[in-house]
Amino acid sequence: MKKIFLLLFVFSLLGCEKDDICDENTPTTPRLIIEFYDFNASTETLKNVSNLGIVAPPLTEGLGFSAVNKIQVPLKTNAESTTFSFIQNGTDTDLTNDNEDVLEFNYTTREVYVSRACGFKTLFTLKQTNPIVNAEPFSSPSSWIKNIVIIKPNLENENEVHVKIFF
Amino acid sequence: MKYTLKYSFSLLLLVASFLGNAQEVKVKDSIKPKTERYGLRVGVDLFKLTRSFYEKDYRGIELVGDFKLTRKHYIAAEIGTENKTVDDDRLNFTTKGTYLKAGFDFNGYENWLGMNNMLYVGMRYGFSSFSQTLNSYTIYNPNPYFGQAPEIQSGEKFNGLTAQWVEVLAGAKAEMFKNFYVGMSVRLNYLVSNKKPDGFDNLYIPGFNRTYDGKFGVGINYTVSYFVPIFKSEVKPKEGKKK
Repeated sequence: MKKIFLLLFVFSLLGCEKDDICDENTPTTPRLIIEFYDFNASTETLKNVSNLGIVAPPLTEGLGFSAVNKIQVPLKTNAESTTFSFIQNGTDTDLTNDNEDVLEFNYTTREVYVSRACGFKTLFTLKQTNPIVNAEPFSSPSSWIKNIVIIKPNLENENEVHVKIFF
Repeated sequence: MKYTLKYSFSLLLLVASFLGNAQEVKVKDSIKPKTERYGLRVGVDLFKLTRSFYEKDYRGIELVGDFKLTRKHYIAAEIGTENKTVDDDRLNFTTKGTYLKAGFDFNGYENWLGMNNMLYVGMRYGFSSFSQTLNSYTIYNPNPYFGQAPEIQSGEKFNGLTAQWVEVLAGAKAEMFKNFYVGMSVRLNYLVSNKKPDGFDNLYIPGFNRTYDGKFGVGINYTVSYFVPIFKSEVKPKEGKKK
Protein backbone atom coordinates (compact mmCIF):
# COMPACT_ATOMS: atom_id res chain seq x y z
CA MET A 1 0.00 0.00 0.00
CA LYS A 2 2.71 2.42 1.00
CA LYS A 3 4.69 1.42 -2.03
CA ILE A 4 1.79 2.26 -4.28
CA PHE A 5 1.42 5.70 -2.80
CA LEU A 6 5.11 6.26 -3.19
CA LEU A 7 4.77 5.27 -6.79
CA LEU A 8 1.88 7.70 -7.23
CA PHE A 9 4.04 10.44 -5.78
CA VAL A 10 6.87 9.69 -8.17
CA PHE A 11 4.43 9.76 -11.06
CA SER A 12 3.17 13.19 -10.09
CA LEU A 13 6.72 14.56 -10.04
CA LEU A 14 7.34 13.30 -13.54
CA GLY A 15 4.48 15.39 -14.79
CA CYS A 16 6.50 18.60 -14.39
CA GLU A 17 6.91 20.69 -17.51
CA LYS A 18 10.23 21.26 -19.13
CA ASP A 19 10.75 24.67 -20.60
CA ASP A 20 9.91 25.13 -24.24
CA ILE A 21 12.61 27.60 -25.18
CA CYS A 22 14.58 26.93 -28.33
CA ASP A 23 18.20 26.43 -27.30
CA GLU A 24 20.33 29.02 -29.02
CA ASN A 25 22.98 26.40 -29.76
CA THR A 26 20.53 24.50 -31.89
CA PRO A 27 21.31 25.11 -35.55
CA THR A 28 18.27 26.86 -36.96
CA THR A 29 17.87 29.16 -39.94
CA PRO A 30 21.44 29.93 -41.05
CA ARG A 31 22.81 33.20 -42.36
CA LEU A 32 25.03 33.41 -45.39
CA ILE A 33 28.63 33.35 -44.22
CA ILE A 34 30.97 35.48 -46.31
CA GLU A 35 34.73 35.62 -45.92
CA PHE A 36 36.76 38.49 -47.33
CA TYR A 37 40.05 37.99 -49.14
CA ASP A 38 42.70 40.24 -50.56
CA PHE A 39 42.21 40.46 -54.33
CA ASN A 40 45.79 41.52 -54.94
CA ALA A 41 47.52 38.81 -53.01
CA SER A 42 49.00 35.98 -55.02
CA THR A 43 47.79 33.40 -52.53
CA GLU A 44 44.46 33.49 -50.76
CA THR A 45 44.87 35.90 -47.88
CA LEU A 46 42.12 36.91 -45.53
CA LYS A 47 41.58 40.63 -45.42
CA ASN A 48 39.62 42.58 -42.87
CA VAL A 49 36.83 44.85 -43.94
CA SER A 50 36.70 48.20 -42.25
CA ASN A 51 33.44 49.89 -41.48
CA LEU A 52 31.47 47.70 -43.84
CA GLY A 53 27.78 48.45 -43.71
CA ILE A 54 25.22 46.23 -45.35
CA VAL A 55 21.62 47.23 -45.78
CA ALA A 56 18.71 45.69 -47.66
CA PRO A 57 16.60 48.40 -49.25
CA PRO A 58 13.92 49.50 -48.55
CA LEU A 59 15.10 48.95 -44.99
CA THR A 60 17.24 51.81 -43.76
CA GLU A 61 18.67 50.15 -40.68
CA GLY A 62 21.67 48.10 -41.67
CA LEU A 63 24.24 45.81 -40.16
CA GLY A 64 27.76 47.01 -39.49
CA PHE A 65 31.00 45.06 -39.50
CA SER A 66 34.42 46.35 -38.70
CA ALA A 67 37.87 44.77 -38.45
CA VAL A 68 36.57 41.31 -39.30
CA ASN A 69 37.13 39.10 -42.31
CA LYS A 70 33.95 37.10 -41.88
CA ILE A 71 30.41 38.43 -41.92
CA GLN A 72 26.95 36.92 -41.58
CA VAL A 73 24.25 37.99 -43.97
CA PRO A 74 20.62 37.20 -43.16
CA LEU A 75 18.46 36.10 -46.07
CA LYS A 76 14.72 36.45 -46.46
CA THR A 77 13.05 33.16 -45.55
CA ASN A 78 9.85 33.89 -47.44
CA ALA A 79 11.41 34.96 -50.75
CA GLU A 80 13.89 33.55 -53.25
CA SER A 81 15.93 36.68 -53.62
CA THR A 82 17.51 39.13 -51.21
CA THR A 83 19.33 42.28 -52.23
CA PHE A 84 21.93 43.90 -50.02
CA SER A 85 23.94 47.05 -50.52
CA PHE A 86 27.51 46.42 -49.42
CA ILE A 87 28.77 49.85 -48.46
CA GLN A 88 32.50 50.18 -47.94
CA ASN A 89 33.19 52.72 -45.21
CA GLY A 90 29.46 52.81 -44.72
CA THR A 91 29.45 52.73 -40.96
CA ASP A 92 31.70 55.71 -40.39
CA THR A 93 30.34 59.25 -40.25
CA ASP A 94 32.05 60.37 -43.44
CA LEU A 95 29.62 59.95 -46.33
CA THR A 96 32.04 61.03 -49.06
CA ASN A 97 34.17 57.88 -48.87
CA ASP A 98 31.18 55.52 -49.14
CA ASN A 99 31.39 53.03 -51.95
CA GLU A 100 28.21 51.06 -52.53
CA ASP A 101 28.02 47.75 -54.35
CA VAL A 102 24.62 46.13 -54.71
CA LEU A 103 24.53 42.35 -54.53
CA GLU A 104 21.51 40.27 -55.30
CA PHE A 105 21.40 36.79 -53.80
CA ASN A 106 19.22 34.24 -55.60
CA TYR A 107 18.39 31.01 -53.91
CA THR A 108 15.78 28.40 -53.24
CA THR A 109 14.48 27.63 -49.80
CA ARG A 110 13.27 24.56 -48.03
CA GLU A 111 11.77 24.21 -44.61
CA VAL A 112 13.10 21.58 -42.27
CA TYR A 113 11.66 20.46 -38.97
CA VAL A 114 13.94 21.11 -36.01
CA SER A 115 12.09 20.44 -32.79
CA ARG A 116 8.98 21.31 -30.92
CA ALA A 117 10.64 24.27 -29.21
CA CYS A 118 12.34 25.61 -32.33
CA GLY A 119 9.69 24.75 -34.90
CA PHE A 120 11.07 24.73 -38.41
CA LYS A 121 14.13 26.27 -39.96
CA THR A 122 14.71 27.49 -43.48
CA LEU A 123 17.69 26.18 -45.41
CA PHE A 124 18.88 27.95 -48.52
CA THR A 125 20.49 26.76 -51.71
CA LEU A 126 22.12 29.34 -53.91
CA LYS A 127 20.84 28.98 -57.46
CA GLN A 128 23.15 27.52 -60.10
CA THR A 129 22.55 30.36 -62.49
CA ASN A 130 23.18 33.84 -61.18
CA PRO A 131 23.54 32.89 -57.54
CA ILE A 132 24.99 36.29 -56.70
CA VAL A 133 24.58 39.22 -59.07
CA ASN A 134 26.67 42.33 -58.76
CA ALA A 135 24.76 45.35 -60.08
CA GLU A 136 27.91 46.63 -61.74
CA PRO A 137 30.66 44.56 -63.36
CA PHE A 138 33.62 43.59 -61.19
CA SER A 139 35.88 45.30 -63.68
CA SER A 140 34.20 48.63 -63.13
CA PRO A 141 36.44 50.94 -61.14
CA SER A 142 33.52 51.95 -58.97
CA SER A 143 33.03 48.38 -57.83
CA TRP A 144 35.11 47.76 -54.73
CA ILE A 145 34.23 44.06 -54.87
CA LYS A 146 36.51 42.46 -57.42
CA ASN A 147 35.41 38.87 -57.39
CA ILE A 148 32.96 36.51 -55.73
CA VAL A 149 33.48 32.77 -55.39
CA ILE A 150 30.84 30.42 -54.10
CA ILE A 151 32.35 27.76 -51.89
CA LYS A 152 29.23 26.04 -50.68
CA PRO A 153 25.89 26.74 -52.32
CA ASN A 154 23.96 24.75 -49.67
CA LEU A 155 23.47 26.87 -46.60
CA GLU A 156 22.87 24.41 -43.82
CA ASN A 157 24.61 25.94 -40.85
CA GLU A 158 26.81 28.84 -39.90
CA ASN A 159 29.91 26.80 -39.14
CA GLU A 160 31.14 26.86 -42.70
CA VAL A 161 31.97 29.57 -45.18
CA HIS A 162 29.58 29.77 -48.10
CA VAL A 163 31.00 32.60 -50.17
CA LYS A 164 34.37 34.28 -50.60
CA ILE A 165 34.54 37.91 -51.64
CA PHE A 166 37.79 39.32 -53.01
CA PHE A 167 38.48 43.03 -52.79
CA MET B 1 -20.12 0.34 -0.96
CA LYS B 2 -22.51 0.10 1.95
CA TYR B 3 -23.89 -3.07 0.57
CA THR B 4 -20.44 -4.36 0.01
CA LEU B 5 -19.44 -3.56 3.54
CA LYS B 6 -22.44 -5.27 4.96
CA TYR B 7 -21.77 -8.24 2.83
CA SER B 8 -18.18 -8.23 3.82
CA PHE B 9 -18.97 -7.93 7.47
CA SER B 10 -21.29 -10.88 7.54
CA LEU B 11 -18.70 -12.85 5.74
CA LEU B 12 -16.09 -11.65 8.12
CA LEU B 13 -17.65 -13.54 11.04
CA LEU B 14 -17.93 -16.60 8.92
CA VAL B 15 -14.45 -16.44 7.61
CA ALA B 16 -12.55 -15.03 10.53
CA SER B 17 -12.34 -18.38 12.25
CA PHE B 18 -10.36 -20.04 9.53
CA LEU B 19 -8.90 -17.20 7.52
CA GLY B 20 -5.67 -17.17 9.44
CA ASN B 21 -4.73 -20.74 8.88
CA ALA B 22 -6.68 -21.45 5.74
CA GLN B 23 -3.58 -21.22 3.64
CA GLU B 24 -1.74 -23.99 5.34
CA VAL B 25 -4.49 -26.36 6.31
CA LYS B 26 -5.49 -28.36 3.33
CA VAL B 27 -8.87 -29.94 3.57
CA LYS B 28 -11.05 -30.05 6.59
CA ASP B 29 -14.55 -31.31 6.40
CA SER B 30 -15.83 -28.85 8.92
CA ILE B 31 -14.82 -25.86 6.83
CA LYS B 32 -17.00 -24.67 4.07
CA PRO B 33 -15.04 -24.11 0.90
CA LYS B 34 -14.31 -20.65 -0.45
CA THR B 35 -15.49 -19.76 -3.85
CA GLU B 36 -13.79 -17.32 -6.12
CA ARG B 37 -15.75 -15.62 -8.82
CA TYR B 38 -14.06 -15.42 -12.16
CA GLY B 39 -15.14 -13.32 -15.05
CA LEU B 40 -14.56 -10.53 -17.41
CA ARG B 41 -14.61 -6.97 -16.19
CA VAL B 42 -15.28 -4.44 -18.93
CA GLY B 43 -15.46 -0.70 -18.64
CA VAL B 44 -14.75 2.68 -20.05
CA ASP B 45 -12.27 5.40 -19.17
CA LEU B 46 -14.16 8.42 -17.86
CA PHE B 47 -11.12 10.66 -18.00
CA LYS B 48 -10.87 10.52 -21.77
CA LEU B 49 -14.61 10.64 -22.15
CA THR B 50 -15.09 13.79 -20.09
CA ARG B 51 -12.02 15.39 -21.58
CA SER B 52 -13.67 15.05 -24.96
CA PHE B 53 -16.43 17.31 -23.71
CA TYR B 54 -14.49 20.06 -22.02
CA GLU B 55 -11.41 20.14 -24.22
CA LYS B 56 -12.10 21.52 -27.65
CA ASP B 57 -9.05 19.99 -29.27
CA TYR B 58 -9.45 16.50 -27.89
CA ARG B 59 -11.59 13.50 -28.76
CA GLY B 60 -10.87 10.18 -27.19
CA ILE B 61 -12.38 7.04 -25.84
CA GLU B 62 -10.85 4.05 -24.13
CA LEU B 63 -12.40 0.72 -23.30
CA VAL B 64 -10.81 -1.34 -20.58
CA GLY B 65 -11.08 -4.96 -19.65
CA ASP B 66 -9.52 -7.44 -17.34
CA PHE B 67 -9.92 -11.10 -16.72
CA LYS B 68 -9.07 -12.87 -13.54
CA LEU B 69 -6.66 -15.71 -14.09
CA THR B 70 -5.76 -16.57 -10.55
CA ARG B 71 -6.53 -14.97 -7.22
CA LYS B 72 -3.81 -12.44 -7.78
CA HIS B 73 -3.24 -12.34 -11.49
CA TYR B 74 -5.36 -10.70 -14.10
CA ILE B 75 -4.81 -10.29 -17.77
CA ALA B 76 -5.79 -6.80 -18.75
CA ALA B 77 -6.11 -4.70 -21.86
CA GLU B 78 -7.13 -1.28 -23.02
CA ILE B 79 -8.19 -0.30 -26.47
CA GLY B 80 -8.80 3.24 -27.47
CA THR B 81 -8.79 5.96 -30.03
CA GLU B 82 -7.60 9.54 -29.74
CA ASN B 83 -7.76 12.65 -31.87
CA LYS B 84 -5.77 15.49 -30.43
CA THR B 85 -4.73 18.84 -31.78
CA VAL B 86 -1.75 20.47 -30.12
CA ASP B 87 -1.37 24.20 -30.52
CA ASP B 88 2.16 25.17 -29.58
CA ASP B 89 4.07 28.39 -30.01
CA ARG B 90 5.69 27.23 -33.21
CA LEU B 91 3.66 24.23 -34.27
CA ASN B 92 0.07 23.24 -34.63
CA PHE B 93 -0.60 19.61 -35.42
CA THR B 94 -3.30 16.97 -35.12
CA THR B 95 -2.62 13.39 -34.11
CA LYS B 96 -5.23 10.78 -34.88
CA GLY B 97 -5.09 7.08 -34.22
CA THR B 98 -5.97 3.98 -32.29
CA TYR B 99 -4.06 1.95 -29.78
CA LEU B 100 -4.11 -1.32 -27.96
CA LYS B 101 -2.44 -2.12 -24.67
CA ALA B 102 -2.26 -5.62 -23.31
CA GLY B 103 -0.62 -7.05 -20.25
CA PHE B 104 -1.33 -8.16 -16.75
CA ASP B 105 -2.19 -6.79 -13.36
CA PHE B 106 -0.95 -8.15 -10.08
CA ASN B 107 -3.41 -7.65 -7.27
CA GLY B 108 -1.87 -6.89 -3.91
CA TYR B 109 -5.15 -6.54 -2.10
CA GLU B 110 -6.50 -9.35 0.06
CA ASN B 111 -10.14 -9.64 -0.82
CA TRP B 112 -12.87 -11.17 1.14
CA LEU B 113 -14.53 -14.09 -0.51
CA GLY B 114 -16.06 -13.49 -3.85
CA MET B 115 -14.88 -9.92 -4.14
CA ASN B 116 -12.67 -8.56 -6.81
CA ASN B 117 -11.41 -5.31 -5.42
CA MET B 118 -7.93 -4.48 -6.47
CA LEU B 119 -4.94 -2.53 -5.40
CA TYR B 120 -2.59 -3.45 -8.11
CA VAL B 121 0.50 -2.93 -10.15
CA GLY B 122 0.75 -4.04 -13.71
CA MET B 123 2.51 -3.93 -17.00
CA ARG B 124 1.31 -3.38 -20.54
CA TYR B 125 2.71 -3.56 -23.98
CA GLY B 126 1.25 -0.78 -26.04
CA PHE B 127 0.89 -0.46 -29.77
CA SER B 128 -0.44 2.54 -31.60
CA SER B 129 -1.17 3.21 -35.24
CA PHE B 130 -1.78 6.82 -36.15
CA SER B 131 -1.33 9.76 -38.45
CA GLN B 132 0.01 13.25 -37.90
CA THR B 133 -1.24 16.32 -39.67
CA LEU B 134 0.94 19.37 -39.57
CA ASN B 135 -1.54 22.23 -39.61
CA SER B 136 0.78 25.20 -39.38
CA TYR B 137 4.26 26.15 -38.28
CA THR B 138 6.61 29.06 -37.95
CA ILE B 139 10.20 29.38 -39.10
CA TYR B 140 12.63 29.92 -36.28
CA ASN B 141 15.00 32.69 -37.22
CA PRO B 142 17.41 33.84 -34.55
CA ASN B 143 18.46 36.81 -36.70
CA PRO B 144 15.22 38.40 -37.79
CA TYR B 145 16.65 41.26 -39.81
CA PHE B 146 13.60 41.16 -42.05
CA GLY B 147 11.25 40.58 -39.14
CA GLN B 148 9.73 37.27 -38.20
CA ALA B 149 8.14 35.50 -41.12
CA PRO B 150 4.41 34.86 -40.77
CA GLU B 151 3.05 31.49 -39.73
CA ILE B 152 2.96 29.02 -42.58
CA GLN B 153 -0.18 26.99 -43.22
CA SER B 154 0.69 23.46 -44.20
CA GLY B 155 -1.91 20.74 -43.80
CA GLU B 156 0.63 18.09 -44.71
CA LYS B 157 -0.47 14.67 -43.50
CA PHE B 158 1.85 11.87 -42.46
CA ASN B 159 0.16 8.48 -42.55
CA GLY B 160 1.11 4.99 -41.51
CA LEU B 161 2.96 5.87 -38.33
CA THR B 162 3.37 3.40 -35.51
CA ALA B 163 4.80 3.29 -32.04
CA GLN B 164 5.26 0.66 -29.39
CA TRP B 165 5.93 1.07 -25.75
CA VAL B 166 6.05 -0.58 -22.37
CA GLU B 167 3.92 0.70 -19.59
CA VAL B 168 4.07 0.19 -15.85
CA LEU B 169 1.08 1.15 -13.84
CA ALA B 170 -0.40 1.24 -10.41
CA GLY B 171 -4.02 1.56 -9.56
CA ALA B 172 -7.06 0.57 -7.60
CA LYS B 173 -10.47 -0.83 -8.36
CA ALA B 174 -13.30 -0.97 -5.88
CA GLU B 175 -16.77 -2.43 -6.10
CA MET B 176 -19.31 0.35 -5.61
CA PHE B 177 -22.47 -1.60 -6.32
CA LYS B 178 -22.96 -5.23 -7.08
CA ASN B 179 -20.60 -5.96 -9.96
CA PHE B 180 -19.97 -2.26 -10.65
CA TYR B 181 -16.46 -1.09 -10.13
CA VAL B 182 -14.76 2.25 -10.20
CA GLY B 183 -11.05 2.42 -10.67
CA MET B 184 -8.14 4.61 -11.38
CA SER B 185 -4.64 4.02 -12.51
CA VAL B 186 -1.51 6.01 -13.19
CA ARG B 187 0.90 4.93 -15.83
CA LEU B 188 4.45 5.49 -16.86
CA ASN B 189 5.25 4.73 -20.48
CA TYR B 190 8.56 4.06 -22.11
CA LEU B 191 8.84 4.12 -25.87
CA VAL B 192 10.34 1.03 -27.44
CA SER B 193 9.89 1.90 -31.07
CA ASN B 194 8.67 4.97 -32.81
CA LYS B 195 8.27 5.28 -36.54
CA LYS B 196 8.62 8.98 -37.13
CA PRO B 197 7.39 10.77 -40.21
CA ASP B 198 9.90 12.03 -42.71
CA GLY B 199 10.27 15.73 -42.02
CA PHE B 200 8.29 15.90 -38.83
CA ASP B 201 8.07 14.22 -35.45
CA ASN B 202 5.67 12.23 -33.31
CA LEU B 203 5.16 14.74 -30.55
CA TYR B 204 1.98 13.06 -29.47
CA ILE B 205 1.16 9.37 -29.75
CA PRO B 206 -2.36 8.08 -29.13
CA GLY B 207 -2.37 6.01 -25.96
CA PHE B 208 1.15 7.05 -25.09
CA ASN B 209 0.61 10.77 -24.63
CA ARG B 210 3.10 13.47 -25.51
CA THR B 211 6.65 12.44 -26.19
CA TYR B 212 8.51 15.65 -25.47
CA ASP B 213 8.51 16.01 -21.69
CA GLY B 214 11.39 13.80 -20.80
CA LYS B 215 11.94 10.20 -21.67
CA PHE B 216 8.70 8.89 -20.21
CA GLY B 217 5.12 9.33 -21.17
CA VAL B 218 2.55 9.56 -18.45
CA GLY B 219 -1.04 8.50 -18.37
CA ILE B 220 -3.97 8.32 -16.07
CA ASN B 221 -7.40 6.81 -16.30
CA TYR B 222 -10.57 6.73 -14.25
CA THR B 223 -12.73 3.82 -15.11
CA VAL B 224 -16.18 2.46 -14.43
CA SER B 225 -16.55 -1.18 -15.23
CA TYR B 226 -18.98 -3.97 -14.97
CA PHE B 227 -17.96 -7.39 -13.82
CA VAL B 228 -19.49 -10.21 -15.84
CA PRO B 229 -19.20 -13.33 -13.74
CA ILE B 230 -18.41 -16.29 -15.91
CA PHE B 231 -17.70 -19.05 -13.48
CA LYS B 232 -17.03 -19.73 -9.85
CA SER B 233 -14.36 -21.93 -8.57
CA GLU B 234 -13.85 -23.29 -5.14
CA VAL B 235 -10.62 -22.49 -3.53
CA LYS B 236 -10.84 -25.73 -1.56
CA PRO B 237 -12.31 -28.45 -3.65
CA LYS B 238 -15.16 -30.02 -1.63
CA GLU B 239 -18.90 -30.04 -1.47
CA GLY B 240 -21.08 -27.08 -0.71
CA LYS B 241 -21.71 -23.75 -2.20
CA LYS B 242 -21.79 -20.62 -0.21
CA LYS B 243 -23.70 -17.49 -0.73
